[in-house]
Amino acid sequence: METKDQKKHRKKNSGPKAEKKKKRHLQDLQLGDEEDARKRNPKAFAVQSAVRMARSFHRTQDLKTKKHHIPVVDRTPLEPPPIVVVVMGPPKVGKSTLIQCLIRNFTRQKLTEIRGPVTIVSGKKRRLTIIECGCDINMMIDLAKVADLVLMLIDASFGFEMETFEFLNICQVHGFPKIMGVLTHLDSFKHNKQLKKTKKRLKHRFWTEVYPGAKLFYLSGMVHGEYQNQEIHNLGRFITVMKFRPLTWQTSHPYILADRMEDLTNPEDIRTNNKCDRKVSLYGYLRGAHLKNKSQVHIPGVGDFAVSDVSFLPDPCALPEQQKKRCLNEKEKLVYAPLSGVGGVLYDKDAVYVDLGGSHGFQESEEVRPTHELVQSLISTHSTIDAKMASSRVTLFTDSKPLGSEDIDNQGQWMPKEEKQVDLKTGRVRRKAIFGDEEEDESGDSDDEDDEMSEGDRLENSCSDDETEEGPDAEVTDKQYMSRKGIKRQKLEMEEDFEVDLPAFADSDDDLERSSVEEEAEEADESSEEEDSTAEEERDILESKAVREGGKPELLQTDDSSDSLNMEKSLTRKKATFTTSDSGHCTAEEAFASEDEPEGNSSLSTEEEDSENEEAIRKKFPKPQVVSSQKLGSGNLIDETSDIEDLLKEEEDYKEENNYSTETSGALKWKEDLSRKAAEAFLRQQQITPNLRKLIYGTVTEDNEEEDGDNGEELGGLFRVSQPASECKHKADSLDCSRFHVEAPHDWDLEEVMNSIRDCFVTGKWEEDKDAAKILAEDEELYGDFEDLETGDVHKGKPGPDTQIEDVEEEIKEEIDPSAEESAKKKHLEKKRKLKEMFDAEYDEGESTYFDDLKGEMQKQAQLNRAEFEDQDDEARVQYEGFRPGMYVRIEIENVPCEFVLNFDPHYPIILGGLGNSEGNVGYVQMRLKKHRWYKKILKFQTIPLYYIEDHNGRQRLLKYTPQHMHCGATFWGPITPQGTGFLAVQSVSGNMPDFRIAATGVVLDLDKSIKIVKKLKLTGFPYKIFKNTSFIKGMFNSALEVAKFEGAVIRTVSGIRGQIKKALRAPEGAFRATFEDKLLMSDIVFMRTWYPVSVPAFYNPVTSLLKPIGEKDTWSGMRTTGQLRLAHGIKLKANKDSLYKPIVRQKKHFNSLHIPKALQKALPFKSKPKTQAKAGKTPKDRVRPAVIREPHERKILALLDALSTVHSEKMKKAKEQRHLHNKEHFKMKQKEEEEKLKRQKDLRKKLYRIQGQKERRNQKSSLKGPEEQLK
Amino acid sequence: MATQAHSLSYSGCNFLRQRLVLSTLSGRPVKIRKIRARDDNPGLRDFEASFIRLLDKVTNGSRIEINQTGTTLYYQPGLLYGGSLEHDCSVLRGIGYYLESLLCLAPFMKHPLRIVLRGVTNDQVDPSVDVLKATALPLLKQFGIDGESFELKVVRRGMPPGGGGEVFFSCPVRKILKPIQLIDPGKIKRIRGMAYSVRVSPQMANRIVDSARSILNKFLPDIYIYTDHMKGINSGKSPGFGLSLVAETTNGTFLSAELASNPQGQGAAMLPEDLGRNCARLLLEEIYRGGCVDSTNQSLALLLMTLGQQDVSKVLLGPLSPYTIFTLMVARGCQFLAYILIL
Repeated sequence: METKDQKKHRKKNSGPKAEKKKKRHLQDLQLGDEEDARKRNPKAFAVQSAVRMARSFHRTQDLKTKKHHIPVVDRTPLEPPPIVVVVMGPPKVGKSTLIQCLIRNFTRQKLTEIRGPVTIVSGKKRRLTIIECGCDINMMIDLAKVADLVLMLIDASFGFEMETFEFLNICQVHGFPKIMGVLTHLDSFKHNKQLKKTKKRLKHRFWTEVYPGAKLFYLSGMVHGEYQNQEIHNLGRFITVMKFRPLTWQTSHPYILADRMEDLTNPEDIRTNNKCDRKVSLYGYLRGAHLKNKSQVHIPGVGDFAVSDVSFLPDPCALPEQQKKRCLNEKEKLVYAPLSGVGGVLYDKDAVYVDLGGSHGFQESEEVRPTHELVQSLISTHSTIDAKMASSRVTLFTDSKPLGSEDIDNQGQWMPKEEKQVDLKTGRVRRKAIFGDEEEDESGDSDDEDDEMSEGDRLENSCSDDETEEGPDAEVTDKQYMSRKGIKRQKLEMEEDFEVDLPAFADSDDDLERSSVEEEAEEADESSEEEDSTAEEERDILESKAVREGGKPELLQTDDSSDSLNMEKSLTRKKATFTTSDSGHCTAEEAFASEDEPEGNSSLSTEEEDSENEEAIRKKFPKPQVVSSQKLGSGNLIDETSDIEDLLKEEEDYKEENNYSTETSGALKWKEDLSRKAAEAFLRQQQITPNLRKLIYGTVTEDNEEEDGDNGEELGGLFRVSQPASECKHKADSLDCSRFHVEAPHDWDLEEVMNSIRDCFVTGKWEEDKDAAKILAEDEELYGDFEDLETGDVHKGKPGPDTQIEDVEEEIKEEIDPSAEESAKKKHLEKKRKLKEMFDAEYDEGESTYFDDLKGEMQKQAQLNRAEFEDQDDEARVQYEGFRPGMYVRIEIENVPCEFVLNFDPHYPIILGGLGNSEGNVGYVQMRLKKHRWYKKILKFQTIPLYYIEDHNGRQRLLKYTPQHMHCGATFWGPITPQGTGFLAVQSVSGNMPDFRIAATGVVLDLDKSIKIVKKLKLTGFPYKIFKNTSFIKGMFNSALEVAKFEGAVIRTVSGIRGQIKKALRAPEGAFRATFEDKLLMSDIVFMRTWYPVSVPAFYNPVTSLLKPIGEKDTWSGMRTTGQLRLAHGIKLKANKDSLYKPIVRQKKHFNSLHIPKALQKALPFKSKPKTQAKAGKTPKDRVRPAVIREPHERKILALLDALSTVHSEKMKKAKEQRHLHNKEHFKMKQKEEEEKLKRQKDLRKKLYRIQGQKERRNQKSSLKGPEEQLK
Repeated sequence: MATQAHSLSYSGCNFLRQRLVLSTLSGRPVKIRKIRARDDNPGLRDFEASFIRLLDKVTNGSRIEINQTGTTLYYQPGLLYGGSLEHDCSVLRGIGYYLESLLCLAPFMKHPLRIVLRGVTNDQVDPSVDVLKATALPLLKQFGIDGESFELKVVRRGMPPGGGGEVFFSCPVRKILKPIQLIDPGKIKRIRGMAYSVRVSPQMANRIVDSARSILNKFLPDIYIYTDHMKGINSGKSPGFGLSLVAETTNGTFLSAELASNPQGQGAAMLPEDLGRNCARLLLEEIYRGGCVDSTNQSLALLLMTLGQQDVSKVLLGPLSPYTIFTLMVARGCQFLAYILIL
């Protein structure tokens, strides 16, 4: 009985278990699973509407293609430059702290003072250049252009500040770099809720500005004046893994964010003229695109300059070498910030400097400075030393200090000028040191002299030295030589370079050569450390000379056919024509050819050669070479033009060198003499690099130097390029024709000559891999058996030679060497690959779209680009493709204003932007411009650009003011910028602007130089004589000539009557006859609307804010408005009186009375006739009744009567009211009675009718009954 | 201003075209001094003046200053503008003289260039319009400059000294050129030609064809030489005849040769048979020189390679013509990617 109470088990109807069960159940019933509704119910999924289907298909395709970007060739360098991280924010928001924390996070080093960019290694593959950006608008604009990532610091306790938005807008113009917000000062919130709210609010505002979902980082608070380690670590992680989108402007221009600046000016020049233009070198990582030497750069804040020299330096902050480990070790965590004084070792092009900061450095500088100062003082007078000495003595006596007298006793030479500058305490010590120097100077050069001394000597002695030496000299002031010896050696070598006779084209290879010579010399140096410098120098020269001379004979020895080489040499020396009767030469040539091409085929095809040759240049000119051999072989007399000869000559020389290289490598004889070998290698390199380059670019130097004077001798040497050069000079005025005339035509009737080109035709012999028969055979092998279905023939693939070999190999597999096995494997692989290709071609064809093809093509090109220069060393590579991004380069720039150096402030970024082809030019630039919506004012005509708007007929009409919310055109005279480039306008770059500083933004549309902007001009005139529709008008023009120019022009009156100018009148000058569509009034004003072209002022004033003194760099102002000028000069504006506003006074209008003519009056009916009755005049006196004056008694009576009448009237009134009331009641009663009466009557009638009805019914009944009864 | 320091300076009138063309492309002003300064007839010639005028037409905002004697020329290039133009070329030089430069400039205009050139279509000095049409246009197509509007048409044929020819050239605008890889010339598969005759017997052309074929047939059977005899107004103002031959290879490179009769009243009369034979031999010489680009278009190919993107382009050339060499020199002077040749 108990069990009955229990609940019954309920089956589960939902949940995973139930579904599983259901499924099983369905499967048991073989109804299939539920998901495959498509299969179960195909009708439901059938195409219902073809149109809709097509539409949906279109839509998906559209969406798909929208995602595609135009594929571009991948040009990212293998080793990318450091990423520029700009830390931006308003003042006091924690930028420097953040940078310090980040640097500490990555490098475990603490930088106390950060000036300029800091480069750090942040990971195995990433470096960062961190730079701080203040709120100077110039700095913001400059850094927005180069930034890869912007860390935008926001003070959360305060909220957004204007700078943030300004910077965002600047970024927007230049293509948006990655932006990450960082909220600081979050610890100032007391309540958590408020903090959360603020975070959310700021985040959403940030998102609207950047993009929804932009990363906003929170730095919650400070610990000991630094951000929390964990948070900084996280931020660092974010930065290191961030991916970047390439920006168009950045990828199309080379640019450098300089992290070091050195003044290379000749100190002598500075001494004579402190304000002379400087020569500076700037250092930094090259970013963006390739930079070519001698190109133009723009330095924002300074101006445009031509680069005088570019060289690349070893990376000061290199990425770690590829190692298989996860993180960097301490050694690899580099930091490089020369402007902040970090990364103490500085590598220059030709020297290494160590900056000795800290306590040591200070002491040393204390000691050193006086000598230096004295040297300075010695130099700084503008007269000769003798004169100086004489004069100084005199001035000293006037100065007369107690300590100074000692000095005078010691030494006769004294610098009074300097003394005034130097303060008393230190001055004494200094002088002593100077005089020691003086002695040493006399004694001559010795190795143990002071560093600074030697510098001084050099400065004095070798002012006329090579300018490359000036670099180190100039830098000595605050740096010490690390490797003084190295530099000295360098110097000697350079001198040596000049002494040693170089081959003709050495000028372009100086660096190469120098480096190799240096190496060589270094070896020598080790052995002879103690030798004094002069001896060393001599030895070096001797050695190199020996090498040079010795190289040749050795090489000659190596050659098996030395006589033929000699022949060639003579060929190269002389400009002789080939006379090929010499059989020896011929054989030599052939020998070379055979060396180059094992097959020894003499066909003109070039594929084999290409594979053989290492240098691309060879690839380009295989033909002439082959041709020459043929020529020689055929024994014809050949007389080509001089240029071809040159080519051939080069070619031969090259070949010669090739020969040497192959042969010398094999020879063991010279192994003992390593230095010689090195020299030889160097020589070889020297001689390989010339050839065509020399031919073409060797002479161009000549061409440029032509104006200076003939210095063909300089280029003399092995290759007499002076010949074509002089020829070119000769031909300076010759015929300009592109045709290449054949000077010595072949005799094409001869069989040999004909045979020489027979293989150029399809009828001739084909190469191995392209011969049709061969290919056919190969195919057969590959596919083996096949059956021709049409004919039914069965083709049996015969085991080809390859397979046969394979079989054999398999049999003797044990015995064969691994090389054979390898080849077999290769063959197998090849076969497989071919099969795969066939398969791919067959099946993948359909899937590859146009887009894929394009992408593939681009990838191929990228690979080609990489492969082309992969195995070349950087020295050669930069010559071909320019300096590639990622390199650390040193750029020399001349003629920089001295203020740039004098007022150098490392806090301000120095950016070198490479200019494109015509970007250095200045011209008219047209833009589409819009006033920024946050800028409070509208822009007026007093700005640099002229604003215009295009009318519907294409006329560009000048606007005085920019439209409020609309785009308008703008044009100005400025640097030519590619179309589509964004631009930004600010009213003033000086830092004291209160509101939002960005005035307008826009984009460059056009660079048309013939833009025509017009301005509306209204000419007014007045009619002075009016006929019917014709009027004479004056006051519009001043002469008949002007009128003649406007004949037929349309004019109009203010009231809208249109007309036309007809002809000038004689009488008042400038008057004319005009016709109108209606008669004018004398009061009409006639005007004509014309258009007056406005010229855009050719005024271009680049911002030179970096030249301002330190601390005033944000005060640069380009132009002042007239208002500012007036204010400054206190000029009051004279207002036009007519323009002033006055109270409007309306004059009373008088209307004349209506006058009706008499005739009309007569005709009018009487009613309308004006009534002529005069108004009733005054009543005459006699008719006026006199006033009644009552007696008191009478007055009393009257008063009584009045009172009585009042009472009476009151009574009457009351009675009337009562009566009225009474009447009303009576009326009501009457109504009531009437109603009752009616009611009674109604009832009565009702009664009556009822009775009547009953009666009738009865009657009817009886009448009905009647017949029935009758029937009954 | 930076532009001043930036300008180029040359002396002598040689390679005036390259200098001006490259200056236009690079945007750098150029100054050429001592133009025929020692000559009896100093200064710029008519045809050079005409060339400068043409440059002025295709550009916008160029500044040209020539001194009184015409020995010094200052040219500040403007913007390459293009558009529909007409130009009367000097009859001292062929239209090819002008057209060669236009081929370099046309792809970089602002608006597609459509120009009618009038003058001498075929002469003995410059590459004729026929040859340029047959060789330079396919070359430009390799660089991705093609399309319907890319055409060169000989409307009228004009021979020196009278001229009277007319050529229509139109070219689309291409901001980006494709890199080329022309390292395999392939084998010559066909030879085509054009034998033209104006104001002489139409039989002349046939005689030329026969003689040219007699030589070329030894190498290749696929030869077809069209005869083009223009009459009436289309035949220009002077009589003459000539032949241009083009050899096409399996890989689509074109090698050309041409020869024209002596202008009326200058030099001895030429037999059409001789001309045909000589022209055929010239073609063989050209084939002998080899390369993927024929000698007249070498400079064009190299220039377009430099003007392309930063990609590596390769081209196999025969011996460099002097013209090419000096073009490269000038190109380097203009700071175009130098060292193009030395890959």
